[in-house]
Order: sequence, then C-alpha cells, then structure tokens
Amino acid sequence: MTTKAEFLARLRHGMPQGQGSLAAEVADRPAHPAEAVEVIRRQLSERWPETLARFQTEFERVAGVFHRVPTAAEVPDVVGRLARERQARRLIAWHPEALGADWSAALTAEGLTVELMPRGEIDDEPTRPALRRRIAEADLGLTGADLAVAETGSLVLIAGRGRPRSTSLLPPCHVAVFGRSALVESLAQVSAFFEAWHSDAAPEWKGGVINVITGPSRTADIELTLIRGVHGPQELHAIFVEADAPTATGRHG
Amino acid sequence: MSDGALATPFRARAEAALRDPFLQEALTIATTKFITLRREAFAEFPEGEALRDRARAIKEATLQHLDQYLEQLITSIEARGGHVHYATTAAEARTIIVDLARRAGARTVVKSKSMATEEIDLNEALIHAGITPVETDLGEYIIQLAGERPSHIIAPAIHKTKGQVAELFTRELGRAVPADPEELTRVARAELREKFLQAEMGITGANFAVADTGTIVLVTNEGNGRMVTSLPRVHVAVMGVEKVVPSMSDLVVFLAILAKSATGQKLSAYTTLVQGPRPAGELEGPEEFHLVLLDNGRIDQIGGPLRESLACLRCGACLNVCPVYRQIGGHAYGYTYPGPIGILLTAMQHGPESVKDLAHASSLCGACAEACPVRIDIPRMLIELRRQVDERRIAPREERLIFRGLAATLTRPAWYRLGAPFARLLQRPFVRGRMIRRLPLFLGRWTHTRDLPAVASRTFTERWPELSREATPR
Repeated sequence: MTTKAEFLARLRHGMPQGQGSLAAEVADRPAHPAEAVEVIRRQLSERWPETLARFQTEFERVAGVFHRVPTAAEVPDVVGRLARERQARRLIAWHPEALGADWSAALTAEGLTVELMPRGEIDDEPTRPALRRRIAEADLGLTGADLAVAETGSLVLIAGRGRPRSTSLLPPCHVAVFGRSALVESLAQVSAFFEAWHSDAAPEWKGGVINVITGPSRTADIELTLIRGVHGPQELHAIFVEADAPTATGRHG
Repeated sequence: MSDGALATPFRARAEAALRDPFLQEALTIATTKFITLRREAFAEFPEGEALRDRARAIKEATLQHLDQYLEQLITSIEARGGHVHYATTAAEARTIIVDLARRAGARTVVKSKSMATEEIDLNEALIHAGITPVETDLGEYIIQLAGERPSHIIAPAIHKTKGQVAELFTRELGRAVPADPEELTRVARAELREKFLQAEMGITGANFAVADTGTIVLVTNEGNGRMVTSLPRVHVAVMGVEKVVPSMSDLVVFLAILAKSATGQKLSAYTTLVQGPRPAGELEGPEEFHLVLLDNGRIDQIGGPLRESLACLRCGACLNVCPVYRQIGGHAYGYTYPGPIGILLTAMQHGPESVKDLAHASSLCGACAEACPVRIDIPRMLIELRRQVDERRIAPREERLIFRGLAATLTRPAWYRLGAPFARLLQRPFVRGRMIRRLPLFLGRWTHTRDLPAVASRTFTERWPELSREATPR
C-alpha cells in the first residue's frame, strides 16, 4: 500500500518548477471572519426588507413555499394548517434550545404528535436506531435556519447538538423557521459565514455537517421529467417571523 | 473497463449509436435542454464571466502548491478523527475500500453518485468480495439494475425511456410498475429508503475538499448524498487529488458556477459540507470517516501535457455542446468519462494508446472550451494527443504515411505548386460537385465518415498573380 510519504513524494517529484503563464490566485479571505460577519449583519439590518423580498422570489422559483408571521407565537398556526391540509400527524422538531422556542404544547393542541429531538448524543445503542425509525416515519420535520440566502433562495442549516441531520431530510415535508438576522444577500456573504463557522468563533454546538438547501429534493433522471421528493423532502416551507424569530440559530458566528 | 464495450472498435460503437433512433432523439432533447438552461443561468448572472476566470485562477494556484494543500487537507481531516488513505492506482483504491468494508462488517453499502468510483470499477470489486453495492442516485440506480454504465456525467440514464425503466423495475423488483416517471421515482424512493437505513457503510465521491477545514463537499439534487453521509456507521469518500480547494472562500466561488454550468440551477438542491466523523455530542452521522485520495494517472499530468484537464469540475457542459457527443452519446466512447473532457481523462488514466481513435472523435470546433466553466482549452490538448498518437506510431501506418506526405507538401512551396495539378488529375474520377465523397482502397476509411473538398480547378496560389494585379490601385 502507498504511504502518505510516498504519495506526497511522488507528487512533489511530478510538480513542475516555475509558475507557468496562467493567472493563479486564491480567493480573498476575511482576516477576521467573525468581524466580517458582524459587518454584514449591520449592513443588512437597514436593508433587510429588500433582501427578504428577493429571498422570497428566489425561494419560490426553486419550488419553496414562503410564509410570513408577525411573531413566533403564530408559527404553530402555520404548521398546524400545513399538517391538516396534508393529513399529517407526526412531527419531529429540533430541540427547543436549538429552535429558540418550545412550540410543543401549541403544536400538540393543533392535533400533532410532537417528538422533540434530544439535546445531545444518545449513548444507549438500541435507542439510536429506534429514534431514527421514528424520524423516518415522521410526516413533518420542523427546524430553524442559520442563513436564508436571497441570491439563490437557499436555506443554510448547521447540524449539531439538538439539531440532527435527518430532521430536514427524512420527513416528506420540511418546515424551517427563520428571522431577519438569518438573512444574507449573496453567496459571497455566505463565504464569510462559512469562514466564521470554522474559526474560533464557531458555535460550540456545531456538528459535522452544514447543508445548503435550495428547494425540495428533485431529480430529472427519467426522460428529464422533473420530479420532487426523491430521497429528501418533497415539500420545503420557510416561515419568516417578522419580530425576528426567537430562534437563536441566526445569531452566532 | 470490464463490460466488454471495448471489444468492438470505436467506429462500430459510434455507428451503432447513430443507428439507434431513440438514442438520437434522447440525446438531442437532453443536450439541447441542458444548453438552454445553462445559457439562461449565466444570462441572468452578469458576474458569471468574471467568476469563471477567478475559479480558474484558484484551480491554477491550487495546482501550483498541490502538495501543500493536500498535506493541509490530510492534517485537518486527521485532527477531526478522520482517516486518509493513498491510492496510486485504481487497483489499490479498490483494495483499500474493500478492506474498509470488510472491517466494517458491511454486507450492503449505499453509494451516492461518484464518477471516481466508476473510474476505479469499484462495484465489481465489492460484489466480488461478497458485498452488495447499491447506487442511490436515481439515474445510477436505473443503470445499475440494467447492468450498464453511465452515459452522461450528470445524467447517467438519459439514454433510457420511461418504458424501458418501467420494464426494468418490473423485472428486477418483481412487481408491475407503470411507465410514469412520478410513479417510478416513488418506487425507487421506497426501495432505496430501506437500503439507506440498513447499510453499514456509505460511499461517496467528492465535488470538492476544503484543505483548511478538512471538509468534503457533496453536491446533489436528490438528497442521496445527505443520506449516505448521515445514516450508515462508516463513510468512505473517494476523491481525485485535484479536487482540493484551499479555503471556504474558494469553495463558494466554485459553487456559484458549478450548478449553473451543469443543470442551469443557481445551486443544486443540496450542497453538503461534511467535516469528518460525527463529533461528540451529535446524535447522527458516521462513527468513522475515511478519505481515499486517488492518483490513477493524475499526478503524472501535474507537470504533463494534460495538466489543464486537472481543473475539470465534472459538470458535463462540454458534453452537451459537443457535436460528436450529441450524435453518439456516452457509451460509444467506451470508457468511464465520455465527451471531449472524457477523451483527455481517458488518456490520463489509460495512456495515449487508449485514445488513438477517440482523439479524432472531435471536430475541434472549440464549443467545449467555450462552455467550460473554468475555460479548459480542450481542443489544444486533443491536438496534443493526436500528436502523441502519431509520434508513438500508434496510428495505422497508412495514415501516418499520408500525413507525413501532406506535411512535406504543405511546408515546401515548390512541391505544393506541383502538387495541385497532380492532385487534380488523380481526383478526377472521384469528384462529385466539388466534393470527394468516396475514395478507393484504404483511403476509403477517411471518406467513409467524412467528405473531402476537392482541389479547386484553380487554386488560390494559381490565381494570386491576377488577384494581386487587381488589388493594386493604379
């Protein structure tokens, strides 16, 4: 078997001397990502309505369904209505600490069976697959969103403690709640957040995966016919909370 | 390549493709649609052109210090508890992955779409070891059931009709399925959902790897990349060494152009950034993470004539615009990677001998270079491959003799002047309306697939004395 040393030695041996004539330059990086993120946040605190309008347009272009509520207290109304329309019964949600709110009582009152994701790891091995089965059987997955990107209509979700990866993946309908502090204009701004989330300013609950979600799961593999909901959710909803959701999700970095 | 496609010569494979009316229609519809979507995506993205230049400059800067970036990537991955493996050849990569699967006690592995694992013929090796690989991208799932190979980098099953897929599902899954894409997708979803939950190991490729953070990046539309990296206990990613990018800021530049070039989307539905195994405190994710770094001919080209093709993002844009690909489709090429870039990657992995015919399967029109998001000069390298094929005497002797004669004539004015009347005499029996459509003997191999313009009754050189008099003002 090739060792690391042999592999890299072969590579170094094969690398040409001299720089060649083609333009060669890596991307500019923020020297202090956490500060760069704060600058973006401050700029956007003034012009968030335009950013939100553009997000809505782009989100709907990728078949997302946009909702808007005045305060966090109205979120369960929207989710309850979605559930009734789909005859959905079982809902799984991020842990209330990750969501920034505990809507379980209100959602239960809407007729849903609510299962909140545990706050951390489960050491007990048999519990883990059982929990996964229940996530896979859920009709609705309720999460926050760490960023809502206007340029592309994307939601960015960091997985981690209390925010399992499959909450936004296994149920056929994914509902994400976000506030104005999650809004960014462009992919270029997203890169500042990506840098910050991998610096010392990374949130301590951050897990091993970050997902940029742009519309529901889709395929065009059979005769180029667009079908939604292949492996991931068939439906994607975003609920914007005007009062800036209690979701702490947007506020870090 | 182990499926015997290479047993028939390229010409026969191409002819078979040209005679397949369904394939012809499917190719036209698919490639035309991809071209339109790509054009529209860049039309509403004015900064796209500048970003393409920036992306290429990042690739170039990364290649210049590839050893350092790879070392940084390895360090970052190991710091998070991941393992890195080194495969010089395809065979070595197979051995590493089969070993990992055995050690994980895997009976079933789920795979998300990966050209790198196609390139190393991984599925055959797993099956041989008694492990069942399950392709989970819908297109890959279809062709795996059919026992075929992908015919397009991003749309592997474009050569199949919904009727054919329905027949295939009915036969392989043992129940009647109607020929409706929606229904077929639902059936595949249910079949594969169980596999995701059962499999002990997930295998992916990688669209990018970020050196600075040790992050593997997967771009998918179906969400299977997320499944494969979230549910099984072990995750193995297989990646060509050239896929590393320095930082998250570099990554985002590529993300901004990749999906636009491939499918015309601003971003694919899921861009998944995976950083090692599940950290403490996280509920889900693999306990083990392995990255297999793949050389398989790449390192030889870091300083070689095909270096530029190491910038390829595998978006498929050059396939869609290629007049040859549009006619013959992916299977006729006979190797893992079809289309213009595929010829270069084939030569990289199998040597110039493997492309003695394929190097000529291009009109050198330049559409590929123009479509390429990172502006790879594919025609320049195809010409270079033709030169190598000639130099190494791989081409047929007659062909080499003719080209040598032609070169001698074209570079000597005296021979050239004498050549014109001589050629006019020789060509007389074969000219039909200024074109030569058929030649005798071995020369017929040229005119079998091409028309040759006849030498003019008076060549430009012969007319030049008059023309220059006319052009001179009195």
